[in-house]
Amino acid sequence: MSSSHQPEQGHHPTFMQYVLVAAILFIITIIEFFAIFPNPDLIGAAKIPVLAILSAIKFAIVIMFYMHLKFDHRMFTMFFLAGLALAFIVGIAVLSMLTALDGSPRAFASANAVPYVESDHEVEHAEPTIVPVPTVPPPVTTPTEPVAPDAIATIVPEPSGGSGAAVSIEIGTEGDALKFSEAALSAASGSSVTVTFNNGSAVNQHNWVLVQDGTKDAVATDGTAAGPAAAWIKPGDERVVASSKLLNPGDSEAVTFTAPTAGTYQFVCTFPGHNFTMFGDFTIN
Amino acid sequence: MVHAAEHAIEETTTGLNHRKMLMWIFLGSDCMFFAALVATYMVYRGQSLNGPYPIDIISVPITTISTFVLLCSSFAMVQALAATNRDDQRGIRIWLLVTAILGATFIGFQIFEFNAFKNEGLTLGTNLFGATFFTLTGFHGAHVTIGIVWLLGMFVVAMKGRLGPASSLDVELLGLYWHFVDIVWIIIFTLLYLIAGFDAGPAALPGG
Repeated sequence: MSSSHQPEQGHHPTFMQYVLVAAILFIITIIEFFAIFPNPDLIGAAKIPVLAILSAIKFAIVIMFYMHLKFDHRMFTMFFLAGLALAFIVGIAVLSMLTALDGSPRAFASANAVPYVESDHEVEHAEPTIVPVPTVPPPVTTPTEPVAPDAIATIVPEPSGGSGAAVSIEIGTEGDALKFSEAALSAASGSSVTVTFNNGSAVNQHNWVLVQDGTKDAVATDGTAAGPAAAWIKPGDERVVASSKLLNPGDSEAVTFTAPTAGTYQFVCTFPGHNFTMFGDFTIN
Repeated sequence: MVHAAEHAIEETTTGLNHRKMLMWIFLGSDCMFFAALVATYMVYRGQSLNGPYPIDIISVPITTISTFVLLCSSFAMVQALAATNRDDQRGIRIWLLVTAILGATFIGFQIFEFNAFKNEGLTLGTNLFGATFFTLTGFHGAHVTIGIVWLLGMFVVAMKGRLGPASSLDVELLGLYWHFVDIVWIIIFTLLYLIAGFDAGPAALPGG
Protein backbone atom coordinates (compact mmCIF):
# COMPACT_ATOMS: atom_id res chain seq x y z
CA MET A 1 0.00 0.00 0.00
CA SER A 2 2.68 2.42 0.97
CA SER A 3 4.63 1.57 -2.16
CA SER A 4 1.85 3.01 -4.31
CA HIS A 5 2.30 6.32 -2.50
CA GLN A 6 6.07 6.35 -2.92
CA PRO A 7 6.53 6.69 -6.66
CA GLU A 8 9.96 8.24 -6.13
CA GLN A 9 11.41 5.00 -4.83
CA GLY A 10 13.35 3.11 -7.45
CA HIS A 11 12.84 5.72 -10.15
CA HIS A 12 15.98 7.72 -9.66
CA PRO A 13 18.16 8.16 -12.73
CA THR A 14 21.11 5.84 -13.23
CA PHE A 15 24.73 6.86 -12.78
CA MET A 16 25.18 7.37 -16.53
CA GLN A 17 22.08 9.53 -16.70
CA TYR A 18 23.49 11.70 -13.91
CA VAL A 19 26.77 11.98 -15.81
CA LEU A 20 24.83 13.01 -18.91
CA VAL A 21 22.90 15.64 -16.94
CA ALA A 22 26.13 17.01 -15.48
CA ALA A 23 27.70 17.11 -18.94
CA ILE A 24 24.74 19.05 -20.34
CA LEU A 25 24.96 21.55 -17.46
CA PHE A 26 28.70 21.95 -18.09
CA ILE A 27 28.26 22.47 -21.82
CA ILE A 28 25.54 25.08 -21.33
CA THR A 29 27.75 26.96 -18.85
CA ILE A 30 30.65 26.88 -21.31
CA ILE A 31 28.39 28.19 -24.08
CA GLU A 32 27.18 30.98 -21.77
CA PHE A 33 30.76 31.90 -20.90
CA PHE A 34 31.98 32.12 -24.49
CA ALA A 35 28.85 33.99 -25.54
CA ILE A 36 30.00 36.97 -23.50
CA PHE A 37 33.72 36.52 -22.93
CA PRO A 38 36.02 38.16 -23.87
CA ASN A 39 33.61 40.24 -25.95
CA PRO A 40 30.42 40.94 -23.98
CA ASP A 41 28.69 42.35 -27.05
CA LEU A 42 29.41 39.34 -29.24
CA ILE A 43 25.77 38.33 -29.62
CA GLY A 44 24.48 41.88 -29.28
CA ALA A 45 20.84 42.47 -28.41
CA ALA A 46 20.19 38.73 -28.15
CA LYS A 47 22.48 38.55 -25.11
CA ILE A 48 19.88 38.85 -22.37
CA PRO A 49 17.20 36.55 -23.89
CA VAL A 50 19.80 33.93 -24.89
CA LEU A 51 21.41 33.89 -21.44
CA ALA A 52 18.00 33.88 -19.73
CA ILE A 53 16.84 30.88 -21.79
CA LEU A 54 20.10 28.97 -21.25
CA SER A 55 20.03 29.49 -17.49
CA ALA A 56 16.31 28.60 -17.39
CA ILE A 57 17.20 25.31 -19.13
CA LYS A 58 19.89 24.64 -16.52
CA PHE A 59 17.45 25.53 -13.75
CA ALA A 60 14.84 23.12 -15.16
CA ILE A 61 17.34 20.28 -15.63
CA VAL A 62 18.54 20.54 -12.03
CA ILE A 63 15.06 20.53 -10.48
CA MET A 64 13.82 17.75 -12.82
CA PHE A 65 16.75 15.34 -12.48
CA TYR A 66 18.95 16.26 -9.50
CA MET A 67 15.92 17.16 -7.40
CA HIS A 68 13.86 14.30 -8.92
CA LEU A 69 10.75 16.37 -9.63
CA LYS A 70 10.38 14.56 -12.95
CA PHE A 71 10.04 11.25 -11.07
CA ASP A 72 8.41 12.48 -7.88
CA HIS A 73 4.83 13.17 -6.93
CA ARG A 74 3.31 16.08 -8.84
CA MET A 75 2.33 17.87 -5.67
CA PHE A 76 5.99 18.63 -4.86
CA THR A 77 6.33 20.24 -8.27
CA MET A 78 3.18 22.24 -7.60
CA PHE A 79 4.46 23.54 -4.28
CA PHE A 80 7.76 24.58 -5.78
CA LEU A 81 6.29 26.15 -8.90
CA ALA A 82 3.78 28.04 -6.76
CA GLY A 83 6.67 29.48 -4.76
CA LEU A 84 8.52 30.25 -7.98
CA ALA A 85 5.48 32.00 -9.44
CA LEU A 86 5.09 34.08 -6.30
CA ALA A 87 8.81 34.85 -6.51
CA PHE A 88 8.31 36.26 -10.01
CA ILE A 89 5.42 38.37 -8.72
CA VAL A 90 7.59 39.63 -5.85
CA GLY A 91 10.31 40.51 -8.35
CA ILE A 92 7.95 42.32 -10.69
CA ALA A 93 6.34 44.17 -7.77
CA VAL A 94 9.70 45.34 -6.43
CA LEU A 95 10.87 46.41 -9.87
CA SER A 96 7.64 48.26 -10.62
CA MET A 97 7.52 49.96 -7.26
CA LEU A 98 11.13 51.09 -7.13
CA THR A 99 11.60 52.05 -10.76
CA ALA A 100 8.26 53.87 -10.90
CA LEU A 101 7.64 51.92 -14.12
CA ASP A 102 9.90 54.13 -16.23
CA GLY A 103 13.30 52.91 -15.07
CA SER A 104 14.42 56.13 -13.49
CA PRO A 105 13.47 56.32 -9.82
CA ARG A 106 15.48 59.42 -8.99
CA ALA A 107 14.15 61.46 -11.88
CA PHE A 108 10.63 60.31 -11.01
CA ALA A 109 11.16 61.24 -7.35
CA SER A 110 12.54 64.65 -8.32
CA ALA A 111 9.59 65.39 -10.55
CA ASN A 112 6.97 64.15 -8.10
CA ALA A 113 8.42 65.06 -4.73
CA VAL A 114 5.86 66.34 -2.26
CA PRO A 115 7.53 68.87 0.04
CA TYR A 116 7.77 67.79 3.63
CA VAL A 117 6.11 70.41 5.83
CA GLU A 118 7.43 70.57 9.35
CA SER A 119 5.06 71.25 12.22
CA ASP A 120 6.31 74.78 12.94
CA HIS A 121 5.71 75.68 9.31
CA GLU A 122 2.14 74.53 9.65
CA VAL A 123 1.80 77.14 12.38
CA GLU A 124 3.12 79.67 9.93
CA HIS A 125 0.44 78.76 7.38
CA ALA A 126 -2.30 78.84 10.00
CA GLU A 127 -1.26 82.16 11.55
CA PRO A 128 0.28 84.27 8.85
CA THR A 129 0.74 87.21 11.19
CA ILE A 130 3.23 85.33 13.37
CA VAL A 131 6.59 85.35 11.68
CA PRO A 132 8.74 82.50 12.96
CA VAL A 133 12.17 83.59 13.96
CA PRO A 134 14.91 81.81 12.04
CA THR A 135 17.69 80.81 14.32
CA VAL A 136 20.18 83.53 13.57
CA PRO A 137 23.10 83.54 15.96
CA PRO A 138 23.17 86.73 17.98
CA PRO A 139 25.94 89.04 16.81
CA VAL A 140 27.85 88.86 20.04
CA THR A 141 31.16 90.06 18.71
CA THR A 142 29.83 93.15 17.03
CA PRO A 143 28.68 96.16 18.95
CA THR A 144 25.45 96.53 17.01
CA GLU A 145 22.24 96.41 18.93
CA PRO A 146 20.27 93.14 19.15
CA VAL A 147 18.45 92.32 16.00
CA ALA A 148 14.69 92.49 16.19
CA PRO A 149 12.88 89.46 14.75
CA ASP A 150 11.22 91.40 11.96
CA ALA A 151 14.51 92.94 10.94
CA ILE A 152 16.10 89.66 10.06
CA ALA A 153 15.47 89.95 6.38
CA THR A 154 17.20 93.27 6.24
CA ILE A 155 20.38 92.31 8.04
CA VAL A 156 21.43 90.03 5.26
CA PRO A 157 22.71 92.31 2.55
CA GLU A 158 23.97 94.97 4.94
CA PRO A 159 27.63 95.10 5.75
CA SER A 160 27.97 95.66 9.45
CA GLY A 161 31.57 96.68 9.59
CA GLY A 162 32.21 98.01 6.12
CA SER A 163 35.76 96.77 5.89
CA GLY A 164 35.22 96.34 2.15
CA ALA A 165 38.12 93.96 1.62
CA ALA A 166 37.70 91.55 -1.30
CA VAL A 167 37.74 87.83 -0.53
CA SER A 168 37.90 85.16 -3.23
CA ILE A 169 36.79 81.61 -2.46
CA GLU A 170 36.77 78.55 -4.71
CA ILE A 171 34.53 75.57 -4.05
CA GLY A 172 33.73 72.49 -6.09
CA THR A 173 32.16 69.08 -5.68
CA GLU A 174 33.68 65.79 -4.63
CA GLY A 175 33.48 64.25 -8.08
CA ASP A 176 30.04 62.76 -8.68
CA ALA A 177 29.31 62.42 -4.97
CA LEU A 178 26.60 64.62 -3.49
CA LYS A 179 29.10 66.66 -1.53
CA PHE A 180 30.87 70.00 -1.72
CA SER A 181 34.65 69.93 -1.80
CA GLU A 182 34.74 72.13 1.33
CA ALA A 183 32.89 71.52 4.58
CA ALA A 184 33.55 74.98 6.01
CA LEU A 185 34.21 78.44 4.59
CA SER A 186 34.75 81.77 6.27
CA ALA A 187 35.07 85.49 5.53
CA ALA A 188 35.14 88.77 7.42
CA SER A 189 31.89 90.62 7.90
CA GLY A 190 31.43 93.43 5.44
CA SER A 191 33.99 92.16 2.97
CA SER A 192 33.14 91.65 -0.67
CA VAL A 193 33.10 87.89 -1.10
CA THR A 194 33.33 86.17 -4.47
CA VAL A 195 32.54 82.46 -4.30
CA THR A 196 33.39 80.60 -7.49
CA PHE A 197 31.43 77.37 -7.57
CA ASN A 198 32.64 74.72 -10.01
CA ASN A 199 30.18 71.89 -10.56
CA GLY A 200 32.72 69.07 -10.95
CA SER A 201 30.06 66.37 -11.19
CA ALA A 202 29.78 64.57 -14.50
CA VAL A 203 26.14 63.67 -13.96
CA ASN A 204 24.39 66.01 -11.53
CA GLN A 205 23.12 69.55 -11.59
CA HIS A 206 24.05 71.56 -8.51
CA ASN A 207 23.79 75.06 -7.11
CA TRP A 208 25.46 76.86 -4.23
CA VAL A 209 23.13 78.67 -1.89
CA LEU A 210 24.14 80.59 1.25
CA VAL A 211 21.37 80.55 3.85
CA GLN A 212 20.73 81.44 7.47
CA ASP A 213 22.07 78.95 10.02
CA GLY A 214 19.84 75.92 10.49
CA THR A 215 17.59 76.68 7.52
CA LYS A 216 19.27 74.63 4.78
CA ASP A 217 16.68 71.82 4.83
CA ALA A 218 13.73 74.20 5.06
CA VAL A 219 15.08 76.28 2.16
CA ALA A 220 15.65 73.12 0.10
CA THR A 221 12.17 71.83 0.90
CA ASP A 222 10.58 75.09 -0.22
CA GLY A 223 12.91 75.05 -3.23
CA THR A 224 11.65 71.59 -4.18
CA ALA A 225 8.12 72.95 -4.08
CA ALA A 226 9.17 75.91 -6.22
CA GLY A 227 10.33 73.46 -8.88
CA PRO A 228 13.06 73.37 -11.51
CA ALA A 229 11.81 76.50 -13.26
CA ALA A 230 12.79 78.47 -10.15
CA ALA A 231 16.15 76.65 -10.04
CA TRP A 232 14.97 74.86 -6.87
CA ILE A 233 14.89 78.07 -4.80
CA LYS A 234 11.66 79.67 -3.64
CA PRO A 235 11.52 83.11 -5.26
CA GLY A 236 12.10 85.82 -2.66
CA ASP A 237 13.14 83.37 0.04
CA GLU A 238 14.25 85.63 2.91
CA ARG A 239 16.54 82.99 4.36
CA VAL A 240 18.72 83.00 1.26
CA VAL A 241 21.73 85.31 1.52
CA ALA A 242 23.29 84.56 -1.85
CA SER A 243 22.91 81.91 -4.51
CA SER A 244 24.34 80.68 -7.77
CA LYS A 245 22.33 79.56 -10.76
CA LEU A 246 21.52 75.89 -11.18
CA LEU A 247 24.72 74.71 -12.84
CA ASN A 248 24.89 71.87 -15.31
CA PRO A 249 27.65 69.27 -14.91
CA GLY A 250 31.04 70.88 -15.51
CA ASP A 251 29.79 74.49 -15.39
CA SER A 252 30.94 77.12 -12.94
CA GLU A 253 29.78 80.52 -11.76
CA ALA A 254 31.19 83.29 -9.59
CA VAL A 255 28.77 84.64 -6.99
CA THR A 256 29.65 87.99 -5.44
CA PHE A 257 27.98 89.31 -2.33
CA THR A 258 28.78 91.37 0.71
CA ALA A 259 29.45 89.30 3.80
CA PRO A 260 26.54 89.82 6.21
CA THR A 261 26.57 90.26 9.97
CA ALA A 262 29.00 88.08 11.86
CA GLY A 263 27.74 84.64 12.80
CA THR A 264 27.33 81.19 11.36
CA TYR A 265 25.54 80.56 8.06
CA GLN A 266 25.13 77.48 5.94
CA PHE A 267 25.71 76.78 2.29
CA VAL A 268 23.75 74.04 0.56
CA CYS A 269 22.75 72.61 -2.80
CA THR A 270 18.97 72.89 -3.02
CA PHE A 271 18.55 70.33 -5.80
CA PRO A 272 15.92 67.94 -4.36
CA GLY A 273 17.55 65.44 -2.03
CA HIS A 274 21.05 66.91 -2.20
CA ASN A 275 20.65 69.04 0.92
CA PHE A 276 21.05 66.03 3.21
CA THR A 277 24.68 65.49 2.25
CA MET A 278 25.70 68.54 0.25
CA PHE A 279 26.14 71.43 2.66
CA GLY A 280 28.66 73.18 4.90
CA ASP A 281 29.11 75.98 7.37
CA PHE A 282 30.00 79.52 6.34
CA THR A 283 31.41 81.51 9.25
CA ILE A 284 31.32 85.27 9.08
CA ASN A 285 33.89 86.71 11.48
CA MET B 1 5.19 -4.65 14.81
CA VAL B 2 8.13 -2.54 13.81
CA HIS B 3 6.86 -2.42 10.30
CA ALA B 4 3.41 -1.44 11.49
CA ALA B 5 4.82 1.43 13.55
CA GLU B 6 6.84 2.76 10.62
CA HIS B 7 3.82 2.43 8.42
CA ALA B 8 1.73 4.51 10.82
CA ILE B 9 4.31 7.29 10.75
CA GLU B 10 4.56 7.30 6.97
CA GLU B 11 0.80 7.34 6.41
CA THR B 12 -0.45 10.88 5.79
CA THR B 13 -3.63 12.34 4.37
CA THR B 14 -1.91 13.15 1.11
CA GLY B 15 0.14 9.98 1.02
CA LEU B 16 3.22 12.17 0.80
CA ASN B 17 5.95 12.46 3.37
CA HIS B 18 5.49 15.54 5.52
CA ARG B 19 9.18 16.29 5.91
CA LYS B 20 9.72 16.23 2.18
CA MET B 21 6.67 18.42 1.65
CA LEU B 22 7.99 20.85 4.26
CA MET B 23 11.32 21.03 2.43
CA TRP B 24 9.64 21.76 -0.91
CA ILE B 25 7.43 24.46 0.63
CA PHE B 26 10.49 25.99 2.28
CA LEU B 27 12.37 25.97 -1.03
CA GLY B 28 9.36 27.54 -2.76
CA SER B 29 9.30 30.33 -0.19
CA ASP B 30 13.08 30.76 -0.35
CA CYS B 31 12.58 31.54 -4.05
CA MET B 32 10.64 34.63 -2.96
CA PHE B 33 13.43 35.64 -0.59
CA PHE B 34 15.99 35.57 -3.38
CA ALA B 35 13.57 37.13 -5.86
CA ALA B 36 13.32 40.20 -3.61
CA LEU B 37 17.12 40.51 -3.44
CA VAL B 38 17.57 39.88 -7.18
CA ALA B 39 14.88 42.44 -8.02
CA THR B 40 16.54 44.97 -5.72
CA TYR B 41 19.83 44.39 -7.51
CA MET B 42 18.12 44.98 -10.85
CA VAL B 43 16.40 48.15 -9.59
CA TYR B 44 19.72 49.68 -8.57
CA ARG B 45 21.70 48.31 -11.50
CA GLY B 46 23.56 51.20 -13.13
CA GLN B 47 22.42 53.68 -10.47
CA SER B 48 25.69 53.93 -8.55
CA LEU B 49 27.02 57.48 -8.53
CA ASN B 50 30.62 56.52 -7.85
CA GLY B 51 32.86 53.56 -8.58
CA PRO B 52 34.05 50.91 -8.50
CA TYR B 53 31.57 49.70 -11.11
CA PRO B 54 31.09 46.03 -12.07
CA ILE B 55 33.41 46.24 -15.09
CA ASP B 56 36.20 47.52 -12.83
CA ILE B 57 36.26 44.51 -10.53
CA ILE B 58 34.06 41.59 -11.66
CA SER B 59 36.10 38.67 -12.96
CA VAL B 60 33.84 36.49 -15.08
CA PRO B 61 36.48 33.75 -15.74
CA ILE B 62 37.20 33.20 -12.04
CA THR B 63 33.53 33.05 -11.15
CA THR B 64 32.88 30.67 -14.06
CA ILE B 65 35.36 28.29 -12.42
CA SER B 66 33.62 28.57 -9.05
CA THR B 67 30.31 27.98 -10.85
CA PHE B 68 31.76 24.73 -12.25
CA VAL B 69 32.83 23.78 -8.74
CA LEU B 70 29.28 24.23 -7.48
CA LEU B 71 27.85 22.24 -10.43
CA CYS B 72 30.31 19.43 -9.63
CA SER B 73 29.18 19.47 -6.00
CA SER B 74 25.58 18.92 -7.14
CA PHE B 75 26.75 15.89 -9.12
CA ALA B 76 28.58 14.58 -6.03
CA MET B 77 25.42 15.11 -3.98
CA VAL B 78 23.27 12.92 -6.23
CA GLN B 79 25.99 10.26 -6.04
CA ALA B 80 25.85 10.43 -2.23
CA LEU B 81 22.10 9.80 -2.37
CA ALA B 82 22.53 6.96 -4.87
CA ALA B 83 25.19 5.37 -2.62
CA THR B 84 22.80 5.70 0.34
CA ASN B 85 20.03 3.93 -1.55
CA ARG B 86 22.29 0.99 -2.46
CA ASP B 87 23.83 0.88 1.06
CA ASP B 88 27.32 1.59 -0.24
CA GLN B 89 28.90 2.80 3.02
CA ARG B 90 32.21 3.81 1.46
CA GLY B 91 30.41 5.63 -1.37
CA ILE B 92 28.19 7.54 1.07
CA ARG B 93 31.20 8.84 3.01
CA ILE B 94 33.28 9.71 -0.04
CA TRP B 95 30.52 11.50 -1.93
CA LEU B 96 29.27 13.42 1.12
CA LEU B 97 32.81 14.56 1.86
CA VAL B 98 33.45 15.47 -1.80
CA THR B 99 30.23 17.52 -1.85
CA ALA B 100 31.24 19.36 1.34
CA ILE B 101 34.77 20.02 0.03
CA LEU B 102 33.48 21.35 -3.29
CA GLY B 103 31.00 23.54 -1.41
CA ALA B 104 33.81 24.84 0.80
CA THR B 105 35.90 25.49 -2.31
CA PHE B 106 33.07 27.59 -3.72
CA ILE B 107 32.94 29.57 -0.46
CA GLY B 108 36.73 29.92 -0.67
CA PHE B 109 36.33 31.50 -4.12
CA GLN B 110 33.70 33.83 -2.69
CA ILE B 111 35.88 34.88 0.24
CA PHE B 112 38.74 35.50 -2.20
CA GLU B 113 36.41 37.55 -4.39
CA PHE B 114 34.98 39.59 -1.51
CA ASN B 115 38.49 40.30 -0.27
CA ALA B 116 39.68 41.34 -3.71
CA PHE B 117 36.68 43.66 -4.06
CA LYS B 118 37.37 45.18 -0.66
CA ASN B 119 40.97 45.85 -1.69
CA GLU B 120 39.71 47.48 -4.89
CA GLY B 121 37.59 49.79 -2.77
CA LEU B 122 34.17 48.14 -3.00
CA THR B 123 32.42 47.44 0.28
CA LEU B 124 28.81 47.12 1.36
CA GLY B 125 28.66 50.88 1.90
CA THR B 126 30.58 52.15 -1.13
CA ASN B 127 27.72 52.51 -3.57
CA LEU B 128 24.46 50.92 -4.67
CA PHE B 129 26.36 48.27 -6.62
CA GLY B 130 28.33 47.24 -3.52
CA ALA B 131 25.24 47.22 -1.29
CA THR B 132 23.09 45.10 -3.62
CA PHE B 133 25.92 42.84 -4.81
CA PHE B 134 27.20 41.91 -1.36
CA THR B 135 23.71 41.48 0.07
CA LEU B 136 22.60 39.09 -2.67
CA THR B 137 25.79 37.05 -3.02
CA GLY B 138 26.36 37.16 0.73
CA PHE B 139 22.96 35.63 1.47
CA HIS B 140 23.64 32.96 -1.14
CA GLY B 141 27.03 32.28 0.47
CA ALA B 142 25.29 31.96 3.84
CA HIS B 143 22.96 29.35 2.32
CA VAL B 144 25.96 27.43 0.97
CA THR B 145 27.68 27.63 4.36
CA ILE B 146 24.60 26.23 6.13
CA GLY B 147 24.59 23.44 3.52
CA ILE B 148 28.25 22.65 4.25
CA VAL B 149 27.54 22.40 7.98
CA TRP B 150 24.60 20.09 7.21
CA LEU B 151 26.80 17.99 4.89
CA LEU B 152 29.54 17.66 7.49
CA GLY B 153 26.96 16.66 10.11
CA MET B 154 25.63 14.03 7.72
CA PHE B 155 29.21 12.91 7.06
CA VAL B 156 29.75 12.35 10.80
CA VAL B 157 26.58 10.22 10.89
CA ALA B 158 27.87 8.31 7.84
CA MET B 159 31.21 7.67 9.54
CA LYS B 160 29.31 5.99 12.37
CA GLY B 161 27.75 3.74 9.74
CA ARG B 162 24.22 4.88 10.47
CA LEU B 163 23.27 5.84 6.92
CA GLY B 164 21.66 3.38 4.57
CA PRO B 165 18.52 2.82 2.53
CA ALA B 166 16.41 3.43 5.68
CA SER B 167 17.82 6.97 5.95
CA SER B 168 17.41 7.72 2.27
CA LEU B 169 15.01 10.57 3.01
CA ASP B 170 17.50 12.31 5.35
CA VAL B 171 20.09 12.42 2.58
CA GLU B 172 17.49 13.33 -0.04
CA LEU B 173 16.30 16.38 1.94
CA LEU B 174 19.90 17.54 2.30
CA GLY B 175 20.28 17.01 -1.44
CA LEU B 176 17.16 19.07 -2.23
CA TYR B 177 18.53 21.96 -0.19
CA TRP B 178 21.95 21.65 -1.80
CA HIS B 179 20.60 21.58 -5.36
CA PHE B 180 18.39 24.55 -4.58
CA VAL B 181 21.47 26.54 -3.57
CA ASP B 182 22.94 25.48 -6.91
CA ILE B 183 19.97 26.72 -8.96
CA VAL B 184 19.94 30.02 -7.10
CA TRP B 185 23.57 30.40 -8.12
CA ILE B 186 22.66 29.62 -11.73
CA ILE B 187 20.39 32.69 -11.63
CA ILE B 188 22.87 34.91 -9.77
CA PHE B 189 25.75 33.91 -12.04
CA THR B 190 23.77 34.69 -15.18
CA LEU B 191 22.42 37.98 -13.92
CA LEU B 192 25.24 39.51 -11.86
CA TYR B 193 28.20 38.16 -13.82
CA LEU B 194 27.27 37.25 -17.39
CA ILE B 195 24.75 40.05 -17.96
CA ALA B 196 25.64 42.82 -15.48
CA GLY B 197 29.32 42.00 -14.96
CA PHE B 198 30.39 44.39 -17.73
CA ASP B 199 28.35 47.38 -16.58
CA ALA B 200 30.34 50.59 -16.54
CA GLY B 201 29.46 53.85 -14.80
CA PRO B 202 25.98 55.31 -14.55
CA ALA B 203 24.13 56.66 -17.52
CA ALA B 204 23.64 60.41 -17.18
CA LEU B 205 20.37 60.83 -15.37
CA PRO B 206 17.97 63.49 -16.55
CA GLY B 207 18.32 66.42 -14.20
CA GLY B 208 19.98 64.65 -11.41
